[in-house]
Amino acid sequence: MKALVIVGHGSHLNEDSSLPVYEHAARIRERFGDEYDEVVECFWKEEPSMRHVLDTVESEDVFVVPAFISEGYFTQQVIPRELGLAGPVTNKGGKTIRYAGPLGTFEGMPDVILERVEDLLRDKEVPPGRTALVLLGHGTDLNKSSGGVIYLNAGRIRERGLYDVVAEGFLDQEPEIGEVVENVEAENVILIPVFIAEGWHTRETIPEDLGLTGEVTVKATATGEKTIYYGAPVGTHPSMAALIVARARETERETEVVRSAG
Amino acid sequence: MSEAPARPSTKQSVAAASREAFAAWIDEAPEGRVFGQVLIRRTSEGGYSLRQRDDAGAAKLVVNEEPREAREISKLTEWGEYRPLKSSPNLRRGWELHVKDARGLAVAMNYLYPAAQVHWYLYREGSLEVTSYRENAARQSGIYKRIQRLSDEGVQNAARACCEDVVCLKKALWNVDEGTPLAMDRGDGEIPCPEPCSVFVSFARRVRLFEREDRRDLDEIGLSPSEKEDLAALVEAASAGNVEYAREAEFEEPLNERRLRYRRLTLLPKLRSGRGPAGRPRD
Repeated sequence: MKALVIVGHGSHLNEDSSLPVYEHAARIRERFGDEYDEVVECFWKEEPSMRHVLDTVESEDVFVVPAFISEGYFTQQVIPRELGLAGPVTNKGGKTIRYAGPLGTFEGMPDVILERVEDLLRDKEVPPGRTALVLLGHGTDLNKSSGGVIYLNAGRIRERGLYDVVAEGFLDQEPEIGEVVENVEAENVILIPVFIAEGWHTRETIPEDLGLTGEVTVKATATGEKTIYYGAPVGTHPSMAALIVARARETERETEVVRSAG
Repeated sequence: MSEAPARPSTKQSVAAASREAFAAWIDEAPEGRVFGQVLIRRTSEGGYSLRQRDDAGAAKLVVNEEPREAREISKLTEWGEYRPLKSSPNLRRGWELHVKDARGLAVAMNYLYPAAQVHWYLYREGSLEVTSYRENAARQSGIYKRIQRLSDEGVQNAARACCEDVVCLKKALWNVDEGTPLAMDRGDGEIPCPEPCSVFVSFARRVRLFEREDRRDLDEIGLSPSEKEDLAALVEAASAGNVEYAREAEFEEPLNERRLRYRRLTLLPKLRSGRGPAGRPRD
């Protein structure tokens, strides 16, 4: 039997944080039921905890995918520790557990971001002029990889030549998102939060700090009037479900290669 | 690197064994079983019926047959508040879940009381691995690393405030460490608790912050800044006739239930006797 375990951060305070994990798990059960006998959710802050989830899994072949954007503290330290993982492949308790990397660095991520853009702009008329895509990350001065994943995806999308400008902005590191939106040289700015879930930042601090009134805000800036399109977080997009499955499949391929080489 | 020897594939997983044992446990009780706040009964069609225990005799319940609906049922309290700890005794009423077999029962139970069924089974088999507070604290990092410094007395008071049946229906099996048992009423419920949970760890962090204050910042009458903050908030709320608890795991808020339960253990003795915690004279 084969199980997919999706690890989310979860929250002690609200249901927003774990919701996308439950929704993607449900989509995977429906669409990829032939591939996985079990699809199980677990969390750092909610139950079942990572510490106990594997006891609830019947399958011998377990794929663990962290619903996290960037490589860092959680994916490298907390998750392996709590799940008792020794590396990309761990054999324990009669199970073979394969551990995938985070979602944000995966090659399929730019496509999900672009689908999010497409959804945002559907049935909206974008005025003539230059168009910028701005990827918004949380960022932190404490960990370079947190911002790195935003640059990685911006770079991959830039290569496709779809927009006049592709830029990066952050909440907790430079360049600060407000300044990026203010100074970007484009009349239309598509702003996509590269976050896993809706929450305080996406619902409150970001719209407030940027003076956004909804999905579309027309605003005067230092570089002229701009129409700002504000999307929902990438992590809640339904296509993330397929990305999680693709991430798990990739892990299987990677570990097979390691095994045949060793 | 050599591979671990393959396990015999015929060996049943604990998840499957617990599913069957749990269903059998229900089957042998015609009047049903109570697990946490859920009453589970075998139905005449061979399935299982689940409802809130206080609804045992209720007639007008909203019936659902999808076991995963249990997640929605367990998400919010009767008053629409988010439930971060599923074993809190605040499971809402008014619903009934019909599941067709042991598999459906296991799915539903894992949303109502995540991992509880397998812990129940392992405990009965005598093979549930228990992790003490000190072992749990030793592996914490980041903002939770500081719980390593929480005193034994702090752990004891935190457990009384955070884990008794009034606030959590699990039966705590863990201790402070191997030689220091928890001195509390561990509870009567069926759900074993093998290790401090993330809500407890977060609460322990808050109690550790209180402990640090106790050593540094007491005023002339022996009250810490946070104790005074809590008293002020209580007086303010009570005088307005509106003592509303903060969210369940919002431990930074003065009017959090577990935080107030901790104050009852540590602040009340000070206020009542002018003495330190647990009635000891302050040194």
